[in-house]
Amino acid sequence: MLVKFFATYRQIAGCKSCDVPAPGNVLALMEALSKRWPEFRNLILNEDGTDKGDDVIIMVNGRHIDHLDGVATKLTEDDYVAVTPLVAGG
Amino acid sequence: MTRGNGWVGTILRVNLTDGTIKKEPLNMKDANDFVGARGLGTKYYCNEVDPKVDPLSPENKMIFMTGPLTGTAACSAGRYEVVSKAPLTGIIGAANSGGHFGPELKYAGYDGIIFEGKADHPVYLHIDDELVELLDATDLWGQGVHPVTEAMEERHGKVRVATIGTPGERGVLFAAIMNDKNRAAGRGGMGAVMGSKNLKAVVVRGTGGVKVANPEGFMNEITRARTMLREHPVTGAGLGALGTEVLVNMINEVGGLPLHNARDGAFWDKADDTSGERLAQTYLVKNQGCFGCTIACGRVTKIEGRGNLDGFGEGPEYEAGWSYGAACGVNDLGAIVKANFICNEQGMDPITLGSTVACAMELFEMGAIPESDIGFPLRFGDAEAMVKITQMCADGEGFGNVIGLGSYRLAEKYGHPELSMSTKKQEMPAYDGRAIQGIGLEYATSNRGGCHVRGYMISPEVMGIPVKMDPLTTEGKGAMLKTFQDLTALCDSTGICLFTTFGIGLPEIAGQYREAVGSTETDEEILLKGERIWNLEKRFNLEAGVEKDTLPPRLLREALPSGPAKGKVNELQTMLADYYEARNWTADGIPTQEKLDELSITY
Repeated sequence: MLVKFFATYRQIAGCKSCDVPAPGNVLALMEALSKRWPEFRNLILNEDGTDKGDDVIIMVNGRHIDHLDGVATKLTEDDYVAVTPLVAGG
Repeated sequence: MTRGNGWVGTILRVNLTDGTIKKEPLNMKDANDFVGARGLGTKYYCNEVDPKVDPLSPENKMIFMTGPLTGTAACSAGRYEVVSKAPLTGIIGAANSGGHFGPELKYAGYDGIIFEGKADHPVYLHIDDELVELLDATDLWGQGVHPVTEAMEERHGKVRVATIGTPGERGVLFAAIMNDKNRAAGRGGMGAVMGSKNLKAVVVRGTGGVKVANPEGFMNEITRARTMLREHPVTGAGLGALGTEVLVNMINEVGGLPLHNARDGAFWDKADDTSGERLAQTYLVKNQGCFGCTIACGRVTKIEGRGNLDGFGEGPEYEAGWSYGAACGVNDLGAIVKANFICNEQGMDPITLGSTVACAMELFEMGAIPESDIGFPLRFGDAEAMVKITQMCADGEGFGNVIGLGSYRLAEKYGHPELSMSTKKQEMPAYDGRAIQGIGLEYATSNRGGCHVRGYMISPEVMGIPVKMDPLTTEGKGAMLKTFQDLTALCDSTGICLFTTFGIGLPEIAGQYREAVGSTETDEEILLKGERIWNLEKRFNLEAGVEKDTLPPRLLREALPSGPAKGKVNELQTMLADYYEARNWTADGIPTQEKLDELSITY
C-alpha cells in the first residue's frame, strides 16, 4: 500500500511516498513507520505505543482517521495513507 | 497624545477635495463597542456613508483603521484594516494587512485615517508625527508599488508606505493597497477606491509609542499566549518552515483543491508540484515575519535562470498558489511565483485575478471567448499564457482589461455568469465547498463575498482545531461557523493576526485585549463584540442591496467526479437554516429586531 508523507515528515522519510505491506490497521502502520524511521517514533507515538492524537494527522483514502475508526481503522493493499504533522495556512 | 489604553486617541480626517486635514478625538464609545480596525472602521463608515454610494465616486469614503493591540507587544499585532464599500462586490469591503505600516501609523499618533472626496490631481499623504500634509504625486502616478515605495524612502527617509500600483489608478476592480512593498490589503478592490480619489500613497513615519492600561497584566497575557504559539505545531513550527503553501497536499488529499475553475473536481495529481514542500526546495530564500510576529509565515522567494520569469519578491501564499496553480491547471511553480510577483509589484488580489484567468480558460476552451478577443489561446495548463495574461492585466493591455473586471463580470459578458466561481461577485478561495461542506456555507454567508478568512471552517473540518468536524457532513456547521465568524471579526478588529488563532483562542485574545484597554468584560462579553460587528456588516449589506446567500450552481448541482468526496455537492440549504437559527436571524437571513436590540445596533 502507498504511504505519503507531507510537510516536515517528508524530510524525515527522505521521500514523498513509499510502498509498504499493508499492516492490520493504522496503529500497526505507525509502528512499522517508527521501526523504519526511528525519528518518527517520538513524533507519532507515545512511549506506551498509543497514538499522539491531535498533533498528527493521518488520512486513509483522504479521510481523517478520526472520522473512520481511529487508529483501529483497518488497512488493505488498495488503501493509501497520508501522514502529516498538523499544518495550517490560508 | 497617548491615551494609555491601547489607543493613541486621534483620528485624521483628510478631505481630498478641498485639501483640508483635521485631527479628531477617537470616538471611544464606538471603539469600546466595535473593538477597532475592521469593526471600528466599519462603524465609522456606516455612520458617515450612504450604503447606496457608488464605491468609485467622490462621495465614497475610505478608512484606514488600526486596532487597540496594533503596534503593542501583543502577539503578531501588526495589522490594520482598510474599510470602504468594495467596487468588486458593491457591499462592505474590509481588507486586512500586516507588515509594519499599521504600527507606524499609531507611533505617529493616529489610530486611523478617514479619506473623503477626490483630489483634482494625484497626491499622497505624508505623515511625520505631528506633520501631516498632502503632497503632489504626479511623478509617482503610473509607477508600480516597489518604485513608489523606494522613491518615498529616498525622499522621506525611514518611512512606511502604503500605495497602489497602476491597476488601482485605472480602477481594476480587485486592485489592492500594498504596504511594505509586499503586504496587501488585498480583497474587494480597496486599491481601486484609493485610485478613484487620486490618492497614490500614504507615507508614515512615527516616533511615539502605544501604552496599555495594565502593563503587568498585559505582559502576563502575552507571555502565556506566546508560549502557546511557540509550543503549537502550526504556529511554532509548520507555518514558519513551510509557509501557508504547505496546505496544498493536505487539501488535495481530502479532495478539496478546486481544479480547472472547479470544472474537473477537486483532486489533482500534480498538486505536489505546487506545494510548500516543493517551494522550499526551489525558490524559497528565507521566511519572514510581520511586525511583532513569532510565526513568520512569509516567504521570500527568488527565481533565477528562468528567463522572463526571473524575479525577487515574496510569496505565494496558499491561496495565490492555488489560484494560479490548480485553478488554472498550471503546475510550473516558477510561473506561479512569477504571477504572484506581478500581483505584488502592481497591487492586485491574486485570488481574484488567478480565479478570473481560470474562468477565462474555461470560457475559452468551451468556445465562449473567441481567440481573437484574447490574442492567443488561453487553455488550462498553459503557464506561459497564464503569466502573459496576468502581465496584460497589470499593464492594462488588451484582454487584460477584461480580466480586470473580475470573473463575474467577465463570465457575464460572455453569457455564462454561472461559471464565475464567486459569491456576491468575489471569487471563492482555494477550498472546494463540495468536499468541505462548512467552507461552502462560509463562502455563501461571508459579509464580503467569497472569502476564507471570514470564519475559516477549514480549521475544524480539516485540521481539527479546536474540534474535529467531518468535512463531508453538515451537522453542527451552522453554529460552528457563527462562532468562527464572530471570533474572526473580533480578532481582525483587535489588530492581531488571524493566524494566531491556530495556537491561541478566545481566552488569550480576550485576555490581551482586556489588559490593553483596561476592560473588566468577560470573554463572552468580548466575543459579543465580534457578533455585533458581523451584524453591523450584514445590516450595511442589506441596505446596500446585497445578493442572497448562495453558491455558484456548480457547487450545488455538479457532483465531484473523484476523490474522497466523490459524488458530493454542497448541501447549502440544510446548513443555511441551521446557521440563520444560530444567528437568531429570520429564515430569509435577516437579522431580527430582537437580535439588533440585543447588540445595540441602531443602523
